[in-house]
Order: sequence, then structure tokens, then C-alpha cells
Amino acid sequence: MREITLSQAVNEALAEEMRRDPSVFILGEDVAEAGTPFKVLSGLVQEFGKDRVIDTPISEPGFMGLAVGAAMTGARPVVDIMFGDFLFLIMDQLCNQAAKTHYMSGGKLNVPLVVRTNLGATRRSAAQHSQSLQALVAHIPGLKVALPSSAYEAKGLLKTAIRDNNPVVIFEDKLMYQDKAPVPEEEYLIPFGQANIKREGRDITLIATSSMVQVAMKAAEALASSGISAEVIDPRTIVPLDEATLLASVKKTSRAIVIDEGHQSYGVTAEIASRLNEKAFYHLDAPVLRMGAMDVPVPFSPVLEDLTVPTPDRVAEAARRLCAGEMIHAA
Amino acid sequence: MPHDVTMPQLGMAQDAGKIVAWLKKPGERVVAGEALFEVETDKATMEVEAQAAGFLTEVRAAEGEDVPVGRVIARISETPQEAASASAAPVVSATGPGSSGPIPEGRAVTMPQLGMAQDTGIVVAWHVAPGDKVAEGDVLFEVETDKATMEVPASAAGYVAALLAGEGEEVPVGETVAILSDRMPDAPMRRTRAEAGGTPLVVQPAAPAPAAPAPAAAPPATAPAIVRPASTVLPASAPHGRILASPKARRLALERGIDMARLVASGVSQPVHARDVEAFIAPASAPASHRLAAGTLRDGFTPFATWAAETAGITDATALLAGFAAASLRAAMPATGPLCIAVTGRGADRVYPDPDDRLGRTDPAASPMLPALILRDLRGSRITAIEMGTDRAPVLMVGGRGDALTVTLVWADGQLLADAALALVDGFAGRLEEPLRHLLL
Repeated sequence: MREITLSQAVNEALAEEMRRDPSVFILGEDVAEAGTPFKVLSGLVQEFGKDRVIDTPISEPGFMGLAVGAAMTGARPVVDIMFGDFLFLIMDQLCNQAAKTHYMSGGKLNVPLVVRTNLGATRRSAAQHSQSLQALVAHIPGLKVALPSSAYEAKGLLKTAIRDNNPVVIFEDKLMYQDKAPVPEEEYLIPFGQANIKREGRDITLIATSSMVQVAMKAAEALASSGISAEVIDPRTIVPLDEATLLASVKKTSRAIVIDEGHQSYGVTAEIASRLNEKAFYHLDAPVLRMGAMDVPVPFSPVLEDLTVPTPDRVAEAARRLCAGEMIHAA
Repeated sequence: MPHDVTMPQLGMAQDAGKIVAWLKKPGERVVAGEALFEVETDKATMEVEAQAAGFLTEVRAAEGEDVPVGRVIARISETPQEAASASAAPVVSATGPGSSGPIPEGRAVTMPQLGMAQDTGIVVAWHVAPGDKVAEGDVLFEVETDKATMEVPASAAGYVAALLAGEGEEVPVGETVAILSDRMPDAPMRRTRAEAGGTPLVVQPAAPAPAAPAPAAAPPATAPAIVRPASTVLPASAPHGRILASPKARRLALERGIDMARLVASGVSQPVHARDVEAFIAPASAPASHRLAAGTLRDGFTPFATWAAETAGITDATALLAGFAAASLRAAMPATGPLCIAVTGRGADRVYPDPDDRLGRTDPAASPMLPALILRDLRGSRITAIEMGTDRAPVLMVGGRGDALTVTLVWADGQLLADAALALVDGFAGRLEEPLRHLLL
């Protein structure tokens, strides 16, 4: 199979959906001529013109509100939020309007819009351009949240998001835009709420999202050399969450670590860990661990920044301790 | 004469007990043998009986309070209002008649109770001599009960101030056998109980106040409290001193009928994980044991046996009991062929071949047949159930005194199906409660 970068995969997904459905359009800062700072959208304005690839002023609340209105009246906007950190600027439009309109209109209105944004630290972009804020939107009923972990997922999930009749926020890992993965030439969709078992294992389940999937895969390789067989699962969407696959795995392995690049406290890892705790308690042979980003603003210093996110070494170390039956955080 | 009520020592490593509930109110009349209070240790919850008749007075420990072993917690007086007299004696002190001098002050080391039914222990050998310095955990002496020989360690560091029992002597549970002092004793002493004239020296300690010079009066009148198992089922492991185990390990242990406490006692380190539970079965390869217990509302059997003896001339009540068990087993497993019931527990073991006659008219004779059921008759004793692992056949126990009986069944995998076990226990308990059922069914 051919291999393309995550950036190309997103570009392909948008182009295919815009060709398929004339109501799909893109808007955001520097999306047209510049093709975004990550060059993800290069070439789209040439094919679809400035009416469907719209450069906006630097005014996230404004163009996000515009997109909500467009979606309510039948268009399918794909909003480009240049950095995930800028989600804070569109909270009202996204969480109070887009997420609630279908409910509050008694089902009369749909808001089929997609917010494309990104997450991920260690790009030396400092505290306001490095956050992973998926927990923030996953908390709001009415929003779906997709976290692609490779070019393959990025394309399949984005196409599904565009066709969904409800608001979807999709986070791409900004460090993975140039990472290649096999992506079929023929069309495919990845349904929401379907986890992907990346690697089968027997002793421990590593549940990882987005950027952390490759961290978990590397940890699993290291663990294999010390005789520990780790299963790696990528939920792919955290809302909806494929609980059944996660529970089945944990019931098999009886141990789990949940890894996500968002801040650890009150985060995605906490939510998944507590569901495992509630629903697989009698199958657990060790506490379910969370591994997220340190609860600090992401430092600009590269040395410090690297310390704040989970690494393969740290994941493997924690897994070894769990499998050895060590007392973890015992009172 | 007023009797002091002290916190009993129910386990070797136990240095305190928690008063769960007072079963008598201050001023209330108590009869000797009546349950006085309930105490919880890290192993079990027990009811403690009054040792004397009188009125409960001077209750000094509240419910929920942790009290050191041996501390006086109340008094049984001749009148409901009897006031405190010379109580609050701080530390062990007594001059036993026949002793060679005053007994030094210090912490008392008492004869531990190692088993629930144990009343006394024999001091096999002393590992220390008077005047020795000991560290916490040093073995002080070896004690032998009818079940085992154990070493008793020092619970704290100090000096051996006195040894109060000789090697080979039998000492009631709770009686002081040695005194440990913080400072080098001036006159360490050694004597036997026989030399002391058999006067029990009982701990009267532990008012935390500085030790006042002890009155060299007569030895305190307290006797070690006798405990009996509370009527409720004892928890396998108590809320305090909880065994640390993963949820999966607990579930597996439960499913396989493994007692966590036994698993830990076998040397498995905590926290216990699933693999420990799995490994615990594998090497032993003994069939898993199951246990089922039931209680009756009343004892219908005793009057029935009396009636059978008077009106039908059936004097062998044990045969009747065996008949009840056999009929219950047949009801639980209808396809059962000829069977026999082995009865143990009261006098010589006997085997009743096919005691299917409703009134138990069978000859107690030795039978070559393997018993279908072993019936352990514990009625009249304080023991309600005893578990000595699985046997060649399922073991059905009946225990209890007075109003209610308890029925406990212990069986191994392959001996009974769970449904049959339930039916057997329920049927047997039902027959004991209402023997008419036995005659009619």
C-alpha cells in the first residue's frame, strides 16, 4: 500500500468530501493561499476557489459563530482552528451554541460542522501553542471528539466527521503532520466509537490516544523484550468511546495504563480509568494508572518540556511495576 | 466480693481490643455466664461472658473504644451503686503467697490464647532468664497447647524482671507468666506457679498514670475472662488488619473457596495478586473446600429425642440424628443407593449403616462401606463448627446450645454438587428445627 503523510491524508479527505458534497467548505486563518502554517491545506484553494476555502480575519469567535449559523442553515463547514490552544476563544460558539442547538430546537436544527484543530507538545511552541485540550470539549454533551493517531485514522475519521450531522472536534497531532503511514487509495471511512487494537497482548492493556499511541507502541516493544506482553488499544474517538473493546481487553489482561497527552488531572485518562474501575473492577489485578501531561503550563525550555509528557520509557517502567505486583501509591 | 472485668486477650499478637457493644447497661443485673460485652480484635468479634453474678458498675470503656488487654473496664458489684474502691491499680503488682519476694513492676506477659477453645497453655521452655535484656520480637518462651507449639515473642524491648511459671507448668490463658521492665530490675525473680500456691496473678494494669506504689494487698480477684464465639458468623478477616489483595485476587479466592487469611498465613506476601491465588491451589492440588452454614430458630431435636425415648423406647439419640442426616441426604440426592453415616464428636466414633428408618432403628455397627456423610455432633459444646480440611466424605456439623442449633457443611470438589449441598443443609436444619417434618416427609 502507498504511504502518505498525515498532512496529505487530511488534505485528501477534505478534497474528496468537497468534491462529493458541494455544501462542504473550509474557513479559518491562513487556510487559502498559505494552506495553514503546517501546509496541510496546500492546493485546495486552487481546486475549490476562494468561496469554499475562505481566509478569515484573526477572529476565532467571529468565524466560528459564522460557521455555526452556516451549519444550521444547511452547509457543512470545516473550521480550521490553527492551534488547539485557540479553542478557548470559541468556547461559547462551540459549547453553548453548536453543541446545544439540536437539543434546544427540539431536533429541528442540526449543526453539521467540524472543528479541525491540533494538540501536542514538544514542538518548542511554549505554553500557549502546545496544549492538548481534548478533555475540555469531550466534557460537553453534544460534541463528538476524534483523535487520529496516524495518517490512516486522520483521513478516515475526518471523512466520517464531515458526514456527521452533529458537531465534531477533531484533533490532529501537530508533530505527526509529516509522519507517513499506509493509506489506501480507495475511499474508506472509519466509524466513530470503534477502537483499534494496534497490538495484541496478554499481560497489560495500554490505552493510548493520538500522539500517545506511538509512545505506547514503543513501550510495548520494550516490554516484549522483558517478557511482558502488552496490548495497545487506540480508542480513535473518545466521544463516543468504545467501552466494550476496552473492557474486554482489561478483563483479559487485568491491568491497564491509560495514556493521553492532555493534562493528567480531570482529564481523558481519568475518565477512561474510572470507567474501567467501575465496570471491570473484579477483573483488575492492579490499580489502573493514568499517564497524562504534567499539570503545569507547557515549558518553553526544551529540556523541561520533554519532561512534561509521557515517554515510552516511563510507560514501560510503570507497566513493569504493575506486572510485578508492586504496590502502587499504596496508603 | 466485687469482680473486675478486664479486656481479655484473644490472640497472641493482640494487645488491645475494641469494645463493640456493651450488652448490659450500668447498674443492670448480670448472671455469671451471661454475655457482657462484645469485643473486636483484628481477627474476630467475640462475646465475653460475665465471670460472676452481681450488678454491672463502674463501666470505664465506652463502645468503640480500643482498650489494652488486661485493663479493667468495669466491675461486677454486689449492689448496683457500689462505688470505686481501691481500683486504678496501675501496673502488675501482687505478692503471691509463697513467692520469694515482692514481684517487680513492669509489663505483664500473659499466657496467650492461641486457639478459640484453648483454656490453658503449657510453658515448654523459657528462652530468657531473669535479668536478661530483651529486644522487641525476641522469643521469650515456648508454649504448647493441644494443637500446636508456638514461640511467644516480646512485644516490646526491656528487661526480664520476673518469670512466674516453671517449665512444664500449665497456665490458664490470660494469667501473667512473666514481667518485663523498662529498667534493669533490682531483684529479678523466678518462681513456679506451684511455689506461688497456684494463686493466679492477673494483669491489673495499664492506667497510663505514673505507677503509684502498688498496694501489696491480696491479689486482684479477677479471673481471666472466658470467651465464647459470638453467635454471628465470624468474618474471615476483620476490618482492621485487612488483608491487601487486588480485586481480581479476591474474586478468584471467593470463586475457589480460598480463605485469604490462610493464603497469607502460608507465606504469600501482600498485596495478594491473582497469580498468588492461582498458585495457591496448584501445588496443594487438594480439592477445593466449600463451606455452607445454616441456623435453626429453635432446637426441636432435643425434645424429639426425649419423646422418642419415652414413647418409642429409642434411646440412641445419635442414631436418630444419623437418621435425620441420611434422610436429608437422600432428599438432596434422590438417586442415592445404600449408604452409611459416620458419627463423630461425642465419645467413640460410630457408623450407622443405612439409617433410613424414620425412627433410626438401626444397629450401630462397624461397616466396611465408605460413609456417605460424616456427622460431627458438637451440640452441648461451645463450638459451633470446626474445619479440619475436607475429609473422605462431606462433613456435616451440628452445634449450639439451648435455643438454636447451627448446621455447617464442609465438602470438597467432586463430593457434592452445590445444589445438593444446599438442599442437604437446608433439609437437615429444617428437620432439626421441626422434627415432624422428618416423620412426614
